[in-house]
Amino acid sequence: MEPIIHIENVHKHFGRVHALRGISLDVYKGEVVVIIGPSGSGKSTLLRCINHLEEYNEGRIVVDSTPLDDTKNINVVRQEVGMVFQSFNLFSHLRVIDNLALAQRIVRRRTREEAEKIATDLLVKVGIPDKAQAYPVQLSGGQQQRVAIARALAMNPKIMLFDEPTSALDPEMIKEVLDVMLALAKEGMTMVVVSHEMGFARAAGDRMILMDEGQIVEEATPDKLLTSSHERTKQFLSKVLNL
Amino acid sequence: MAEKPKTRPGGGKLFYIPGGDTFTRIDPWWGLVALVVVAAVVLVTVWPDPFWNILVFVRGGIIVTVSITVISFIFIMVLGLLGGLGRLSRNRVLRGFASLYVELVRGVPLLVQLIWWYFAFPVMIQAVGKWLDFSFMIEYQANPIATAIIGLTVCYGAYMSEICRAGIQSIPKGQMEAARSLGMSHFQAMRYIILPQSIRVILPPVGNEFIALLKDSSLVSVVAVADLTRRGREFMATHFNPIEVWTMVALIYLVMTLLSARGVSWLEKKNRFEE
Repeated sequence: MEPIIHIENVHKHFGRVHALRGISLDVYKGEVVVIIGPSGSGKSTLLRCINHLEEYNEGRIVVDSTPLDDTKNINVVRQEVGMVFQSFNLFSHLRVIDNLALAQRIVRRRTREEAEKIATDLLVKVGIPDKAQAYPVQLSGGQQQRVAIARALAMNPKIMLFDEPTSALDPEMIKEVLDVMLALAKEGMTMVVVSHEMGFARAAGDRMILMDEGQIVEEATPDKLLTSSHERTKQFLSKVLNL
Repeated sequence: MAEKPKTRPGGGKLFYIPGGDTFTRIDPWWGLVALVVVAAVVLVTVWPDPFWNILVFVRGGIIVTVSITVISFIFIMVLGLLGGLGRLSRNRVLRGFASLYVELVRGVPLLVQLIWWYFAFPVMIQAVGKWLDFSFMIEYQANPIATAIIGLTVCYGAYMSEICRAGIQSIPKGQMEAARSLGMSHFQAMRYIILPQSIRVILPPVGNEFIALLKDSSLVSVVAVADLTRRGREFMATHFNPIEVWTMVALIYLVMTLLSARGVSWLEKKNRFEE
């Protein structure tokens, strides 16, 4: 079976910093891949390379049979790949409903009625149907992140990328976001998640990847990786799990 | 967090005492406008000679001042947006061109620029016309009003470029990334996400620019435009009463600037989304 995301020997430099050092990774349809690693290990950079928010310097990325090396393909790929950010990045001048509807209308060329119908249904799905007319600043962090997930889903993506979706949230709001992500995983969405939520990784993750210094250190099922005998993995997990 | 009162505390007024009565809600700025208007009305009705006569004499100048300011301002907004986008462009030629424009123009006094456009520019056009043998260029004469609008637009466009650049840059990077990650093009993201948010940021400085422009438009009186200031000078030249003339002219400018300031703050309030 052909992978839906194919990453081959990707290198990325930020000036003198060699952020990604030859990453190769295949993600298959319906898989949930969780990436962990210390800060600065390149996990967010890798995620951002998948929808070309970050340009890579070397190597090859193919998303849904579309190679990312041609700039013409980038907007096509981005329509198929939803992204959820650590800081939500909701459009602060638009109401929740318009946050969900805008890109559908101008990118997917849906009518206003169509787009708002889809938006309304998605707000029900993420559990905040009553906030359609609110502005982002009027929502809690957890609600904002759920809106951000709904906004990405409104484009009917084939793949969802999550860049530390819960690290900016208060502890009591983390669960509401993880529940939405768990439900999404159960529906068979292909997901690449940068997160240190081990509970989520165990419950939904098919594969877990530990990155360090721009390289993949270990790759295994969550249960195996969390009990790994690999020295670097053990060292990192002891820090994360004992927090 | 979720439930916020519909009305903002104080409604944007300068003073607000929670639970205060109507007295505390009198806006001191409107009070100032009223004071200036009353002063002008008193002068005109109590001493119609010379104040009423001055007002009648300069009224054409008021219209010229307002028209030049408003027309220039429209061009300035367009030029400022282009200049601001140019300063932020990834294209090095565009960026260099925009930066050169801003730096050159900001380094030369407005008065000198106006004089240059009025006296030097036409001669230059004529010289080029002679060289190319284009008769319409050889016969080119500076039109005072057009020159004034060009001069003000070029000068203020540079300052406006910097305001627009700062406004666009003040929008967090994540907004552009979120827009692009949804498949929007760079243009769509600018048009629907970045610029609408920038407007709120740049509105106060843009309002200041409008008021500064209204005042600086008095400089066009040196290039033969019969604006408010020039009409005032003409009246003084025949009647020799500087105190009355320039007090009246100053009051008229004050009424216009104070009203503009109110207009700007009304626009700001209108453009604020709920926070």
